[in-house]
Amino acid sequence: MDKGRDWIAEFRYWHESILAALLIALLVAARLADPPFFSIVVQTELSTHVWELALLALPMTMIIITSGIDLSVGAMMALCAVILGLSYEAGISPWVGAWLALLTGVAAGAINGVFVAWVRVHPLIVTLATLAAYRGIAEGISLARPISGFPESFAVVGRGNILGMPIPGAIFAVAVLLAAVALARTPFGRSLYAIGNNEAASRFSGIPVTRIKMWIYTISGAAAALAAILFVARRNTAKADIGIGMELDVITAVVLGGTSIFGGRGRILGTVLGVLLIHETREFVSWKWDKDELNLIVIGALLIVSVLLNSFFSQREAE
Amino acid sequence: MRRTAIVFSLAACWVLSTCKEQTPTSGEKRPALKAANEKITICLLPKKKGLPYFSSCADGALQAAKQLGNVQLIYDGPTDGSPEKAASMIDKWTLKGVDVIAVSPNDPNVLAPAMKKAREKGVHVITWDADGVPEAREFFVNQATAREIGYALVDTMAKDLGGAEPDGEVAIITATLTAANQNEWMKYMKERLPTYPKLKLVAVKPSNEDQKLAFQVAQDLMKAYPNLRGIFAISSVAFPGAAEAVKQAGRKGSVLVTGLSTPNDMREYVKDGTVVSVVLWNTLDLGYLTVHAAEALTRNKLKPGAASVEAGKLGTKKIVGDNILLGNILVFTKDNIDQYQF
Repeated sequence: MDKGRDWIAEFRYWHESILAALLIALLVAARLADPPFFSIVVQTELSTHVWELALLALPMTMIIITSGIDLSVGAMMALCAVILGLSYEAGISPWVGAWLALLTGVAAGAINGVFVAWVRVHPLIVTLATLAAYRGIAEGISLARPISGFPESFAVVGRGNILGMPIPGAIFAVAVLLAAVALARTPFGRSLYAIGNNEAASRFSGIPVTRIKMWIYTISGAAAALAAILFVARRNTAKADIGIGMELDVITAVVLGGTSIFGGRGRILGTVLGVLLIHETREFVSWKWDKDELNLIVIGALLIVSVLLNSFFSQREAE
Repeated sequence: MRRTAIVFSLAACWVLSTCKEQTPTSGEKRPALKAANEKITICLLPKKKGLPYFSSCADGALQAAKQLGNVQLIYDGPTDGSPEKAASMIDKWTLKGVDVIAVSPNDPNVLAPAMKKAREKGVHVITWDADGVPEAREFFVNQATAREIGYALVDTMAKDLGGAEPDGEVAIITATLTAANQNEWMKYMKERLPTYPKLKLVAVKPSNEDQKLAFQVAQDLMKAYPNLRGIFAISSVAFPGAAEAVKQAGRKGSVLVTGLSTPNDMREYVKDGTVVSVVLWNTLDLGYLTVHAAEALTRNKLKPGAASVEAGKLGTKKIVGDNILLGNILVFTKDNIDQYQF
C-alpha cells in the first residue's frame, strides 16, 4: 500500500462502522419515537428472543468464511430439543438430558462435517439433505408431539440471571470471546480465511483443510444443541418444529455482518453487530406497529442493504 | 479501532438507556380496573395471521371495539403460525402494559409461560377459539361446546336425509384417532344417535389430517358399505376430501356428506349439491364476543365465578365454569353460504 493513500483507504472496519452507525441511528430514533422501548427492563426482556440466533451465528461465520454453509442448524436444534425432551420423559434428569442433547448436536454436526470434508460434497447439498433428514428424525421419534413439564430448576437456564445478565446472554458473551480470539489470533482462524480464499492452495501449503472443516461443522452442531437447550428451558417445551427457518435468519445476520458469502472475509465483531441490528430492527418494528408481516419485509430489506454494502466494500478492496 | 468501536457503541447504548428510565410495567401487580371512559387496549392473537377464518374473527372483533368505543384493538399473530413467535408477541404486549391479551394458542404449552408471566404483570389473559393451559388464563371464550357440535352434526344429518324416521348406514371420518377435539365430538355424536333409531353407525375411520387419505377412505367406505347413506367428515381437511370422493363416484344424492369446515373450502360442493349443510360457528360473533368479554374484564363487569356476561348485539351469554359460551352453531346451506366469505 503506497503512502499516497490516506487512512480512509486503509481503515479496515468500514463495514462494522457503518453497521454500528445504523444501529445507533436506529436506537436513537427508537428512543425518540417510543421511550418505553428503550428501558432496560424492556430491552433485557426482548433480548431473550435473540440468544439462539446469536449463538448459531458464531460458527456460521466461521463456516461461511471457508465459503461453506450450514443450512441444517434449525433442524439440528429441533433434533437436540427432541432428544432432551424424550430423555426427560423417560425419567432422565434434564441436566443429563442436556448432555445427551449436546452429544446429539455434536454427532449431527460431525455427520455434516464428514460429508463436506471427506466425501467432499458441496455443503449446500449436504446440509440441505440433513436439514430434511434431521427434521424428519426429530418428527419421527417424537411423533411430532410437544413434550413439556420440565422442572422449574431447569427453566432457570433459559430465564434466570447471572450477575444481572440473562444466563443465555452470559453464555453468548463467553462464546463471542472464544470465537473472536480463535478467528483473529490463532492459526486455526487464519486457516479458515486461507481455505475461503483458495482451498486448493491451502491444501498444498499444508493446512489440514479436512480436519478444520470437520471441526467447524461439528462446532455448528454443538452450538445448535446449546441453542436447543436454552430454547427448551425458556419455553418449557421440546418439540420437532422449533427453529424452522432459523437458518435463513442466521445467514442473514452473518452476511449483514460483512462476512462474504464467497468466503475469505468476515469477522466476529461484524456478526455480533449484524445480529444486534436484525434483533433491534425486528423488535422495534414489532413493538411499534404490531404487524407480523412487516417483519419479513424488514428482514428482506436488511439483507439487500447488506449485500449492497458487501459488494461495495469488496470492490474497494479489489481496487 | 475495534476496541474503540465496541466501547463507543456500548457507551452509547448505556447513555441512551439510562438517561430516562421508563418502565411500563414493574413488579407483580393485580390487573388495574378501568373506569368506563378510560381507553383500554385489547390484543387479539390468532393461531395464524392471514387465514380467512381468523380474519373474519378479527372483523367481528373490530366491530365490537368500534361499538364499545374507548377500545383500541390490536390484531396481530405469527404469519407462519409459529408458536415461538406468538409467545414473543405476548411477551412484547406484556412489556407494553396492554390491558387484555386474548389468545388462540397454537401450542398451549409453549404459550403457557408467556401467558402466566403476563398475568403476573397485571395483564388480563383470556383464550378464544382454542383453549390454553387453564391456570394461564382467566376465561375461555368457547365457540361451541363439544356437546353442541356433536348434537348439531347428527341433527343436521338426520334433517338432510329427510323423512320422519331418517334411516340408513352412516360412517365417520375423523382427523386422527387420538385427536382430542374430534374424540370429544364423537362421544356426543354417539350419545345423540339413538334419537334416530334407524341411523346405524357402521365405521369410524381416521384420515390423519390428509385430504388425499380422506378421499381414499371415503371411496373405501362406499365400496365396503353399499347401503351407506351418510358420511360425517369431522375435520376441515377430511370434509372436502370426502365430498370430492362422493362427487367423483357419482354418488351425489345417494351418499350425503356433512361435517365441519369453512364456507370457502366447501362452497363448490354446496353449490353443486354434493353437500347440503356445513356445520360451523359464526366466526364474526366469536371475535365480537371475545372483545366484549375482554372489555368487561377490565371494567370489572366480569369477575371470576360470574354466570353470564353482556355482549352487545349478542345479548347475555352464559358462562359455565370459566367457559364463556358463544353457543350458536351456524349451518351453512346453499341459501346462506354466500353471505360468509372465509
